[in-house]
Amino acid sequence: MIDFLGGFSQFTGIYGFMNSMWGWPVIESLHFIGLCLLLGTVGVFDLRMLGLAKQIPYQYLHKLVPFGVAGYLINVTTGIMFLTTAPDQYVYNPAFQTKMLFMLLAGINMLSFYGFCNQYVQNAGTNPLPTRIKLVAGISLIAWSAIIVCGRLITYFRPPYHWCLWC
Amino acid sequence: MALVVGINVAVSLRLLTTNSPTTLPGFDKLYPLHWLGACFIFISGVALLLAYPAKALTNPVFYLKVASLVTALIIAFKIQMRLQRSSSDTRYSLSTKTLAAFALVLWIVTIFTGRFLAYTNSVLLASRFY
Repeated sequence: MIDFLGGFSQFTGIYGFMNSMWGWPVIESLHFIGLCLLLGTVGVFDLRMLGLAKQIPYQYLHKLVPFGVAGYLINVTTGIMFLTTAPDQYVYNPAFQTKMLFMLLAGINMLSFYGFCNQYVQNAGTNPLPTRIKLVAGISLIAWSAIIVCGRLITYFRPPYHWCLWC
Repeated sequence: MALVVGINVAVSLRLLTTNSPTTLPGFDKLYPLHWLGACFIFISGVALLLAYPAKALTNPVFYLKVASLVTALIIAFKIQMRLQRSSSDTRYSLSTKTLAAFALVLWIVTIFTGRFLAYTNSVLLASRFY
């Protein structure tokens, strides 16, 4: 797996770019901008569903979700660039592995929102939402907050210096 | 930081992507959380500055970051005031939308300079000077 990821990075030129003078900090900055887009749209929408700023109609914030999707795509692209450039620093890293678990949780949670809650929320105006939808919003906020924390911790748990349960 | 920038992004994008008269009811209610996040930025920023003062204070990028951050926060305050003064049928002026666009640019500058701080310092410890 490490060889495959490293080979992909070399083949596509990502490795060369990331190891250029400003490659890594530029991509890190874009990664954070993507995160802010996500948190500013999906995160604020979650907070609204939990009861903050009750005067804002849900659909006003839902219209901003495409910007959140753009942020997500920026993050996936830049994240792949980090991962493939230094795969051994990520694949065996407990903070990265935990981050991926929370991303999986956020993804499943998003699917459950669009499967079971979206229609209700779109027609709710500014009315309070039922507990099950608030639960989805709460899980989303927790998952994205954990993703931020784990992302920040990646650099402090670089293998082989830190032992972890599954490494 | 993500909380503060996130709320600014939400308000700015909403301001820039709508022309309807009833634009932003209730958006000013997001600002208490925004200013709470700003307090966290201030506290963590001061802690990082105290930990490695020479590293930051000898780097011009640090001053660019602080300038763009402070300006972006002042603009956030101005937009908050305009949102609080507006009624339900307020149509936001071009100047408010320009402020929102300028704020987005400033947040991008703040993020880039913040990230580049870690890569552009030439001094780490003040002990280098004595």
